Amino acid sequence: MSNTEDKNLHHGEPEIDELTNDRYLGGHEYDGIRELDNKLPQWWLYLFYVTIIFSLVYLVGYHLADWWPLQEKEYNNEMAAVADIKKATPQIEVDLENMMPLTAEADLTAGKVTYDKICVTCHGKFGEGLVGPNMTDMYWIHGDSTNNKVTIKELYNVVITGVIEKGMISYKDQLSPVQIQQVLSFILTLQGTNPANQKAPQGRKYDTFG
Amino acid sequence: MELQKFYYDNKIVKMFAYATLFWGIVGMLVGVLIASQMVFPALNFNFAYTTFGRVRPVHTNAIIFAFVGNGIFTGYYYSLQRLLKTGMASNWMTRFHFWGWQTIIVLAAVTLLAGFTTGKEYAELEWPIDIMIAVVWVVFGWNMMWTILKRRVKHIYVAIWFYIATFVTVAVLHIGNSIEIPWSFLKSYPVYAGVQDALVQWWYGHNAVAFFLTTPYLGLMYYFMPKAANRPVYSYKLSVIHFWALIFLYIWAGPHHLLYQSVPNWAQSLGTVFSIMLIAPSWGGMINGLLTLRGAWDKVREEPVLKFFVVAVTAYGMSTFEGPMLSLKSINAISHFTNWTVGHVHIGALGWNGFLTFGMIYWLFPKMFNTKLYSVKLANLHFWMGTLAILFYSIPLYWAGWTEASMFKQFNDAGELVYPNFLEIVSQIMPMYYMRIFGGTLYFLGAILMVYNIAKTVKAGSFVAMEAAEAPALEKEGGMKPGEGFHRFLERRPVQFMILSIIAILIGGLVEIVPTYLIKSNIPTISSVKPYTPLELQGRDIYIKEGCYNCHSQMIRPFRSETERYGEYSKAGEYVYDHPFQWGSKRTGPDLWREGVKTGKNYKPDAWHYRHFMNPQELNATSLMPKYSWLADVEIDIASTPKKIRVMQTLGVPYPEGYDLIANDDLKAQAEAIAAGLKADGIEVGSNKQVIALIAYMQRLGTDISGSTTTSENK
Repeated sequence: MSNTEDKNLHHGEPEIDELTNDRYLGGHEYDGIRELDNKLPQWWLYLFYVTIIFSLVYLVGYHLADWWPLQEKEYNNEMAAVADIKKATPQIEVDLENMMPLTAEADLTAGKVTYDKICVTCHGKFGEGLVGPNMTDMYWIHGDSTNNKVTIKELYNVVITGVIEKGMISYKDQLSPVQIQQVLSFILTLQGTNPANQKAPQGRKYDTFG
Repeated sequence: MELQKFYYDNKIVKMFAYATLFWGIVGMLVGVLIASQMVFPALNFNFAYTTFGRVRPVHTNAIIFAFVGNGIFTGYYYSLQRLLKTGMASNWMTRFHFWGWQTIIVLAAVTLLAGFTTGKEYAELEWPIDIMIAVVWVVFGWNMMWTILKRRVKHIYVAIWFYIATFVTVAVLHIGNSIEIPWSFLKSYPVYAGVQDALVQWWYGHNAVAFFLTTPYLGLMYYFMPKAANRPVYSYKLSVIHFWALIFLYIWAGPHHLLYQSVPNWAQSLGTVFSIMLIAPSWGGMINGLLTLRGAWDKVREEPVLKFFVVAVTAYGMSTFEGPMLSLKSINAISHFTNWTVGHVHIGALGWNGFLTFGMIYWLFPKMFNTKLYSVKLANLHFWMGTLAILFYSIPLYWAGWTEASMFKQFNDAGELVYPNFLEIVSQIMPMYYMRIFGGTLYFLGAILMVYNIAKTVKAGSFVAMEAAEAPALEKEGGMKPGEGFHRFLERRPVQFMILSIIAILIGGLVEIVPTYLIKSNIPTISSVKPYTPLELQGRDIYIKEGCYNCHSQMIRPFRSETERYGEYSKAGEYVYDHPFQWGSKRTGPDLWREGVKTGKNYKPDAWHYRHFMNPQELNATSLMPKYSWLADVEIDIASTPKKIRVMQTLGVPYPEGYDLIANDDLKAQAEAIAAGLKADGIEVGSNKQVIALIAYMQRLGTDISGSTTTSENK
């Protein structure tokens, strides 16, 4: 601080730095490094005050006055808003009783997108089977054995309920009914594609699909 | 007044400077390696010792404690002696400090690669090394304080204030965060669990940034900047105010690493507001540095040393503005767990620490070797390479962070995640990862250029090991004199100065950590949360050993975008038996906290996990995860089970009395069941292999609370 001790220790008069016209602090010299007697920059001081005021307002607003929600409440608000959106946009219904594989190009493409996103990690890039069963051969675990037929309706139920003991989770929260129908339609087109590295057959052999 | 003759020890400065250069090169090279592993998983070499999870801590520890650490000591031994007009108090202590520190670094590299880690970021070293660090650090500090006491200068300069604060705070942080109970020669469990461990760890982690990467470097700046520019320090008053404000406020800011996580809201808010209040004190340092150059800007054009300093101090100013911004909840919600944070810390590491070190090295060597720098041109080239490198490193990572966050949080009109598959997001940021490698490599090559330049300078010069100097002895002075001012008085009372610093830095930590022990409602208990089974505990230790926390978090924040993706958000009470906590700080891969929940979105069967550990790319062609095939060969260390159980009991984990003796029976039964299940799926693997334990741990994760239990809100 600029006080009498400092000013008068080595220098009778305060010394001025020629390049900046700032005053040196007397007695402040360390290995040739000297210090100037400049005040705290005003804008810096105001910045400091503003951050302190911000902090007080922040603490009051979150913890005393309840102006803004804390994280649990914020989450509940967010989810409540979503529930409203979901109510407002009803999902396209599918007719499960009479469900048939889709054949339109757009539906199959959409099905492949879903397959590549989700199914691929267990059933393989080409449906050849990996951790999950092979989907290109005629052997199926889930099918209507009395009618010797694998129907999209049965596969739909597998996707909805999952086969948790084998590690397949339920996808009813992740995929819409239409998306499930699309991806199953795509999967059924893989029949007989005969890709490389096929997993050994699982289940029994069926002759009709769809 | 009679002049006394004495010598400055330049030898120790030179030793630390060489160590700085050596470990800097090593640390940067390892950085380039791990950056490349994130693009080419094959570079993990399917070998435990070279796998990302083990190598990344080697990079961070090498840069922080080896490169920057030795950099601190280089500048500190040079400046301290001259600022105090005395040689070091103890010669053997300086040597002990040097060799002790280098030994620690070598042991750190070896043990980390061998998988001995505490699993706590930037504090990974295990208990014997922790003790060595404490001893070496105290010897270093003792020698420093002793030297200060036998000085020939009445007042201690601002640089030394920062050195003192650094010494005491790092000691407190290191010891506080490393309290652990060993269960073997090289392994231990921390006494803290879950929320408390997280708060202690980030109190440490954040302040390692503050008191290892910032305050000592501010001290160096206050010496080398005015020396190199031959200009006076802008404002002594600013030095005083920003020093005390900085060290007092910094300690409180740790919880900003835990925003929106399972720590009490009040602690998070303190973390936020103290970070915001840090802007001005941090900028005080930047202002005092940059304004010291007033009247000398023409020199900056010619002198590479000053160029490095200017960019260093500017990077410091940017980082210390960005840091508080990232501490705001709304921004943190976006940036946390993404590459944004990695970009942010590298502005500090490459810009502030790296460039200040380079400038200091370029200034010191010609001085100590009584010669000119071999090539100013090469130093300028290094400067431009380094500056471009920082841009090439950080801009892509900021871009990546934004991309990740916007993809994570994007929903379609039907209310579904647009990118439910984590890998889609990873693929999107691959170009940024490539660019980051380029930036990092450029920075590394610049450093190589510096080593060459310095080697040539050393060759041309002649080193003076003991530099003669003289000064009058210090007169004894009594108490405070009229008109002296309290701080000026304090500056000639180093011990009192040290005690005041300790008080300033203790307050924040105590206020934030102690209540979580004393007030029950801070961590609401959940009765369904049970200790890990012995097999899961062994699996957890493998998870820690392989450094999985470097890429995977175990912390689901209360956002729709996270609960839709991962499941129910994390509750504080779920982690009470986690010694150490494994919440992670970056998601290179997905969060794993609800991995074991069978009704959840991410559940995978045992066979999937097995095949995924053996070869992740078989299941996901574009996965960046390394192979962990050795886990199917290496056996679980079941001999350690009883000891682990006993240590856990000591820490309060409620295993029944005498459980240590029968724990391995349970372990084997659970392991055999998993192996039998795998066999049914056509996978032959012994039930005594590590992969079995790790699968058991995966399937346990997040399963203790069922469905949407919300009994335990974080108060």
